[in-house]
Amino acid sequence: MDTTKGDALENNVGFWKRIGRRITGIPLLAWILGILAAALVEQWVGYEFAELIGLPKIPVLFGALIVLKKKVWMQSPMMIPSTMLYVFSVYILVIGVVARVLAAPANRAAGGLMKMPLWISVLIHLGIFYTALHIWSDISAYRVITLKLTLIAIMVTLSLNVINGYMGEFSCSHPGFMALGAYAASAVTLIFFTNDRLFGAAVLPASLGPFVFPLALIIGGLVAAIGALVVAIPSFRTRGDYLAIISLAFMFIVKSVIENLEVVGGPRGMGSQPNYADLPTVFVWTVLCIWVINNFVRSILGKALNAVRDDEMAAEAMTVNTRKTKMVAFMFSAFWAGVAGGLFAHVIRFVNPGTFGIQKLAEVLAMVYFGGLNSVYGSILGAVSLNLLGEMLRPLEIFKWIIIPVMLILVMIYRPTGLIAFKDLDVKKLIRPR
Amino acid sequence: MKKGLLFVVSLLVLCMALVPMASAKKVVIKVGIDAPMTGDIPKVGEGTKYAAEMWLEDIKKAGGLEVGGKKYPVEVIIEDNESKAESAVKAITKLITEDEVLIVVGPQASSQAIPAGDVANNWKTPMISPWSTNPNTTKDRPYVFRACFLDPFQGKVMANFVKNEFGFTKAAVLYDVASDYPKGLAEEFKKNWEKINGPGSVVAFESFTTKDTDFSSQLTKIKKSGAQFIFVPQYYNEVALIVQQAHDLGFKGPIVGSDSWGSAETVKLCGKDCYGLFFSTHYAAAGAKGATKAFIDRYKKKYGYVPDDVAALTWDALGIVKKAIQDCGKLTGNIEKDRQCVRDALAKIKNFEGITGKMSFTEDGDPIKCAVIVKINDKGEFEFYKSVCP
Repeated sequence: MDTTKGDALENNVGFWKRIGRRITGIPLLAWILGILAAALVEQWVGYEFAELIGLPKIPVLFGALIVLKKKVWMQSPMMIPSTMLYVFSVYILVIGVVARVLAAPANRAAGGLMKMPLWISVLIHLGIFYTALHIWSDISAYRVITLKLTLIAIMVTLSLNVINGYMGEFSCSHPGFMALGAYAASAVTLIFFTNDRLFGAAVLPASLGPFVFPLALIIGGLVAAIGALVVAIPSFRTRGDYLAIISLAFMFIVKSVIENLEVVGGPRGMGSQPNYADLPTVFVWTVLCIWVINNFVRSILGKALNAVRDDEMAAEAMTVNTRKTKMVAFMFSAFWAGVAGGLFAHVIRFVNPGTFGIQKLAEVLAMVYFGGLNSVYGSILGAVSLNLLGEMLRPLEIFKWIIIPVMLILVMIYRPTGLIAFKDLDVKKLIRPR
Repeated sequence: MKKGLLFVVSLLVLCMALVPMASAKKVVIKVGIDAPMTGDIPKVGEGTKYAAEMWLEDIKKAGGLEVGGKKYPVEVIIEDNESKAESAVKAITKLITEDEVLIVVGPQASSQAIPAGDVANNWKTPMISPWSTNPNTTKDRPYVFRACFLDPFQGKVMANFVKNEFGFTKAAVLYDVASDYPKGLAEEFKKNWEKINGPGSVVAFESFTTKDTDFSSQLTKIKKSGAQFIFVPQYYNEVALIVQQAHDLGFKGPIVGSDSWGSAETVKLCGKDCYGLFFSTHYAAAGAKGATKAFIDRYKKKYGYVPDDVAALTWDALGIVKKAIQDCGKLTGNIEKDRQCVRDALAKIKNFEGITGKMSFTEDGDPIKCAVIVKINDKGEFEFYKSVCP
């Protein structure tokens, strides 16, 4: 009896191990192609397949919204196995099979791509990946809005990680930076391209808008970067908790200032931003943000951040200009938070100062610490998982706010620095053939 | 390896076996509700949910909603917007595109209703916000409606009421500068008061910030300014503090307020200090008659407390939804056509008898309805005092 049980266990382990071994041989390119294939399959036959197995619609977020719904369990429990079947066959099966089948040719292709300049092969990967995302999100507008806000969350998380993870200061000012970016970018688009109640008629023709939009975002980022000086300069002399308090104060100052500025609508907020932030725009900016921040933290200046974090005095002695380092880090990080804020304002198409308060801060901090300090992977993971979880657990209503915090607590206990902390993102290693 | 594979395959087969055959599609009227179930104002979400539950109960009792001589089953889908703008947008997008609701009720607070209204309008889905008083919610949005009156109207009502009732000439206003609703209302009141009494008749226009608890400096200034009364368009927790502190400082004049006073908590926190004060609101619970009384009694019996204005307005919004769907006359099952039909019917509703008063809708989505002046009586109840119509 015991031996058979043991055998079965061993067999099972063998099964998973073998799967593991098979997976390690698959390059990133094959995975992305697998995702693309799954998205295409869903687009072509998703609806028919869902109907065949008794689902009213394509399960929108991997079936979570159906499986977790109490009403479904009570009234039509048959939908649960159907949903699982759908998710398994359309996503897991298709991705797995396509990735496995394409592993060998993809390896050869990846090898070929490695001979080309890095940026070309990265662009090819990103292009395929974006196509997959686009097709996947084409199924439903709900997917689009979730995806957009998730991408923006990645930008904010990453920018906060530069300060909290790489430089080791505890900054609470990121909602303030976001607010500055959001208001500055909105002001630019509203003044120049829309007829609205705050700034009157459009100055420039609306057709120019989408082309000037990146400029508006950059202006938003720059305004946030200038605002960051307010936090950066005190950071020369204070550290730790004290700087946290200063940065928290900064966040409240920004909120109060905007509330009292009638020009930008005060507490009523600013609405009817033009609809420039579509999925490709948000995606491009997110990729740009990841790329720039990743290069920054791997540069000499980025390493200086780590030196300042580990021992400021020693760093100073080893000729690191700590003041310059802090200043650059704060302004750089605030710039990206500002850009993210600008995108956020144009996705929601409404901003009010209340949005950028303590709640937003808690969210962003949770994403940083959940994902992992000092790591680009960690920030991406943290932002994506908390955002998707927040949506997927929606049917649980109030219990969502028990499950997510419990997860955070568990992560903090078992992995105090976050899920993937202190890990470099090396693009070359990522896309190499295996 | 084999066993693992067998396991997966058998699971698949099991799934397949459990899958029912394709079921026939039935037309179900789906009503979406986008409410703050969690976040800053969960009590508002709760009132919304309870009103919706009661409404659904009625429909179920009647065996469905009768449209054009045919009864359709009704489903209410409640989504939480966490009292956040981005979450409200996600929730309404989900309701419209995933659940394919015919009409959306909510969000309640303006900071969520404005962005959500944009989504509803883009998807050509009718939306009624029961509680949002910000003009921008419905402005230039043919598909967005509301069930309450706007701030400008309320400011005018209060200015006229105080003038006629007391004949005062000098007003003071104390409001939260960081909050959208009190600020808007304070400005509207000031504008209207000065229109009646001439410029400079608002002798003190004092502000504070959300979560302040000590108002003595502002109140001292108000007292010194010689104001005869104070207008306080604040929420219940601040109202209690302001009224008590004003009385402690020896301010004798009346203090008047707005619909944000209309929560059961106001009197609970404020106690005797609030007795005899007036405020404008959507409906009065004490001394209510007819349908309003029936609603209040039923709500109180079921949930254990007197419903506040959010619940009453949500109830009315759902009543409007029902009427609009019935007025539409025919449901085709094509959701886009039906939404358009319901929207057109909604814009034509005249003299709807709601529990918060008679309402008529126009193409701009704002109802023409009366405000109620409520007096807090000696028992601490909200007593009907006067009705003011536009």
